[in-house]
Amino acid sequence: MEPAVNQQYVPSDYLPILIQFLAALGFVVTTLIVTHLIGPKRKSAVKDAPWESGIESVGDARTPISYKYFMTAILFVLFDVEVIFMYPWAVNFRSFGLDGFLQMVLFMGLLLAGFFYVLKKGILKWD
Amino acid sequence: MTSIILLSIFGIINLFVGFMKSKRILLPLSLLFLAVVFGANLFSWNEAQSYFNHMLTIDNYAVAFTGIMVLATLLLLPFSQHYIEEANENLAEFYSLLLFSLVGAIMMVSYENMLMLFIGIEILSIAMYVLAGSDKRRLRSNEAALKYFLMGAFFTGVLLFGIVLIYGATGSFYLTDIAATAAVNDGTVNAMFTLGLLLLVIGISFKISAAPFHFWAPDVYEGTPTLFTSYMSTVVKIAGVAAFYKLMAAAFAASYAAWFPTLIAITVLTLVVGNIGAVVQTNFKRMLAYSSVSHAGYLLMALVAFNERSDASILFYSLSYALATIVAFAVLQYVSEQRNGDETYAAFNGLGKTNPLLAFAMTVAMCSLSGIPLTAGFFGKLFVFTAVVQDARLMWLVVVAVLMAAVGIYYYFKVVIAMYMQPAADAAKIRIGSFASFMLIFITVFTILLGIAPALVSDLL
Repeated sequence: MEPAVNQQYVPSDYLPILIQFLAALGFVVTTLIVTHLIGPKRKSAVKDAPWESGIESVGDARTPISYKYFMTAILFVLFDVEVIFMYPWAVNFRSFGLDGFLQMVLFMGLLLAGFFYVLKKGILKWD
Repeated sequence: MTSIILLSIFGIINLFVGFMKSKRILLPLSLLFLAVVFGANLFSWNEAQSYFNHMLTIDNYAVAFTGIMVLATLLLLPFSQHYIEEANENLAEFYSLLLFSLVGAIMMVSYENMLMLFIGIEILSIAMYVLAGSDKRRLRSNEAALKYFLMGAFFTGVLLFGIVLIYGATGSFYLTDIAATAAVNDGTVNAMFTLGLLLLVIGISFKISAAPFHFWAPDVYEGTPTLFTSYMSTVVKIAGVAAFYKLMAAAFAASYAAWFPTLIAITVLTLVVGNIGAVVQTNFKRMLAYSSVSHAGYLLMALVAFNERSDASILFYSLSYALATIVAFAVLQYVSEQRNGDETYAAFNGLGKTNPLLAFAMTVAMCSLSGIPLTAGFFGKLFVFTAVVQDARLMWLVVVAVLMAAVGIYYYFKVVIAMYMQPAADAAKIRIGSFASFMLIFITVFTILLGIAPALVSDLL
């Protein structure tokens, strides 16, 4: 296996990236300046107050939170990310053939084993 | 490959067995699993085979190091008895994490592709981060886990950056492709290649706690529960050094001139810092941490020699070091439990009278670590030094190493003196299970056997 990489890049080949970068930056800067210039300015105590869906804010944000919340949140992220592998697999399902199907079954099997372990361990019990 | 699959399945089975009421079955079951893996691994001997588009190759090198690492895990698990006695609710998870991290260790000795190296290191390390903090209610354990995790994550980033730069310079993650590109370009493709190589060296030096990237080791080793410290300083280190040698031999042999000065500086620094650092310790466990740094130095010497004797001497040294270290940590664990968590030299006072077996096993282990003849450690050092003197210009390195080994004798024998010469502070006999005693005797006999007939292992590779 010889490395088949184009080693002949010159700096000007990266010009599109630079233009894209400048366009993104330019958009942000322009929008900020223009809205600042043409937008109406009204200031009052009510407008400067932290806005919490119309409900008055209560207490401090830094309160201890039950670890169950973190457990559920982490497990959600874990299982949510696993789903990402399903999309490319589903799109290429036909070309992967039986092998691809069995590999996904194995993957889901391991995932389910983990899920079953979490249930048995009582991580999702809230009381 | 069989060993990787088996260990993964056994690890999952272990997790579910942990839901049973009695935890007593876990230890025999895990030992059985490891014995099966050890046996299955041997079937690949002389049957080199590649897997996953040549990303993993199980050759004799991989089989030999896998064997040693599985054996080390097998020998240190019996000393987890106190977890069973106190019915620790996470025992199954501890065993499973050890099995899973062993999967990473095996990948680290059989990779042919940088991605596999990275994944192997991650699988190994993440389990270790958890196990370092497994004593949740002790502050030192938490500190160890946090320090190990933060530093480990940072150096993983360095390693990854090195891999990326190498990929940028050569266009491949495969060791053979990198070697081919390097060979046609005088070993140094461009500045990016050299920089990537140095970052790789730094990243792996951290994992094997070579100076000047050893700062985490004493704190982490001290805080981690002793059983897992034992695993950390044997299996993790062996996997790291084996991966290091494989990386240099398979990918960067042509770039010898680029990494040699760096590596020889790291080696000398590791030898000096490890041994001098160990002298001033009063805590036995911290001394063992520095001692493990110094042994990383001896192992790196074989890597610096970089000739046909290197792999065999790394293999033999790893085994002799693992055997002695497991005994040292096991005895420390029993002694400090008896003495209310005291891990200083003073805790060993009078052990020779109260527990002759523990004291004798410890003495043999200390002799082996310091390289006294008739123990495995002597031949370990001898093989490494012989490999180095093949190149006459490296004679001075052997002189430094011998001087440092002499320093080693001083601090290793502190504990022997405490055991036999000091009066016992607490005359109570330490109770150890019959199986653990048997394992201690077995390892001690094995150490002496290797010190008499080193050819049993030294001719394998």
